[in-house]
Amino acid sequence: MKDLSVQNVSMVYELPRGGSVQALQDVSFDLEAGRLLTLLGPSGCGKTTLLNIIAGFLAPTGGAVTLGGDPITGPGQERGMVFQQGALFEWQNVAQNVAFGPRMNHRKKSETKDLVDGLLNTVGLTGFGDKAIYELSGGMQQRVALARCLANEPEVILMDEPLGALDALTREKMQGLILKLWKETGKTIILVTHSVEEALFLGDKLFVMAPRPGRIEQAYELPFAEVGLTSDPRKLKASAEFIDKREELLSMIWGMEEQIMGHEGGMS
Amino acid sequence: MSDHIPAPAAETAATFGRFDRRRGNQSRKTVTFGDASEVTTSKVWMVFSLGGLMLIWWLVTRGPEPMIAEKTFPGQRAVWDAFTRWLREGYRRGSAWEHTWASLSRVLKGLLIGTVIGIPVGFAMGLSRRLRGIFDPIVELFRPIPPLALLPLFIMWFGIGEQSKVNLLVWASVWVMIIAARAGVLGVGGSKVHAAYSLGANRWQILRYVILPNALPEVFTGVRVALGVSWGTLVAAELLGTEVGLGATIYIASRFFRMDIVVVNILVIGVIGVAMDIVMRVLEARLIPWRGKG
Repeated sequence: MKDLSVQNVSMVYELPRGGSVQALQDVSFDLEAGRLLTLLGPSGCGKTTLLNIIAGFLAPTGGAVTLGGDPITGPGQERGMVFQQGALFEWQNVAQNVAFGPRMNHRKKSETKDLVDGLLNTVGLTGFGDKAIYELSGGMQQRVALARCLANEPEVILMDEPLGALDALTREKMQGLILKLWKETGKTIILVTHSVEEALFLGDKLFVMAPRPGRIEQAYELPFAEVGLTSDPRKLKASAEFIDKREELLSMIWGMEEQIMGHEGGMS
Repeated sequence: MSDHIPAPAAETAATFGRFDRRRGNQSRKTVTFGDASEVTTSKVWMVFSLGGLMLIWWLVTRGPEPMIAEKTFPGQRAVWDAFTRWLREGYRRGSAWEHTWASLSRVLKGLLIGTVIGIPVGFAMGLSRRLRGIFDPIVELFRPIPPLALLPLFIMWFGIGEQSKVNLLVWASVWVMIIAARAGVLGVGGSKVHAAYSLGANRWQILRYVILPNALPEVFTGVRVALGVSWGTLVAAELLGTEVGLGATIYIASRFFRMDIVVVNILVIGVIGVAMDIVMRVLEARLIPWRGKG
């Protein structure tokens, strides 16, 4: 298992009409293997940019990211990715989607079949292998995306608002599934979300990020993900401790939002 | 519910429902104007429309002194006779089947070559800045030139035989295919490509297993459009240097004022065009079932 290290990462976007935006400024943190980190913050705080830098889709304008000491220079299969809208290959069926990674690595078909069956079972899609992607609901599509990502045995799983497009009930179920996968596989997960509740419930570590310039405003170590599997999640989310934290984070983010509004009001 | 509808309306709904189950019986929507899902082809009106055309045709050509002279536009009886004779005896140097196959094979050859050239060029334009820079002015400049305008040049270059005809049809289809293939490549969402890279795919695999299948629906639409355009270019392609082909027949028959033969061949071209489009739609549903459901 490999630790992730983010060192003084900055990202400056040059605007086409001149000027620039500081999407990330001097972001540094270390993440031990096996942690579940959630990134929370108002839009424009750079959380997706940070995720894309770790995934290797973007090269930062300053600083570096390493995984197990190796610098990240581009996308790679030790860092799996789950997107908001599946990004599934709709010309393939469910099983073929899950088998995509092993196939790209020229793994044997017989091996892959058992692997795919096992993964479909893990994400609760036993018997759905032959289904077409467009026949599945949004929640089931995200299950396929999770299974596809796991098929390559990544060190780190990066999730960009993976549950953002789902309805509230499905979302709660899927939160349970993500916790279950995290526990069972012991993988490092970094999850970007807009939902305060989700960030608190899933993260055993949480960064609240702030905009202008994008940075980590507050870091939390949280107990909820550890107990989230064994106890009733609804009760946990209704507990005084959870609600206190939730209100604390909400008011922090509201504060940022208001600052942004004020800033924009002042400019016009 | 139906007892709330006043009697005449209910009667109308029932009458139309007999022909067209979407209205009246199944749909309880109150807003249908502007709702695309409610606007399906009405079979009843298709029959009325075709019947209306036949009626107008009959009206303007009937009687011993028709509104339009028999010589300029023949009546239905004359056309039917010409059609059955054309089926039995063909026209001049070829049987009906020989004329039809000559035209079909020219169009299919042109389409095939146009597709084989167009797809890689379109892909290149969608994948590389440099290649887009090279091809963009060529495509934009040549695309609007009508094939007929090139006929003299093509005959000079490729001779009066088959080569110039097929090349003209290649011209008719290749620009459509280039643009369709380019649109197909540009239509791939960034997240699909990113996902594939994160799953360990290399550049070649991205092209083969993501970009190519993702572009298929657009490419298929291109083939369908190109087939229509080529078929429409047929008469121009067969204008000179041949006596065999549906387009050639129209041109030759017109010089002998055989308007019945002209009309027969026009109708045959039209019907084959419709049939090809139906075949393409069936193929599309079979080959690209995910289309529009992503």
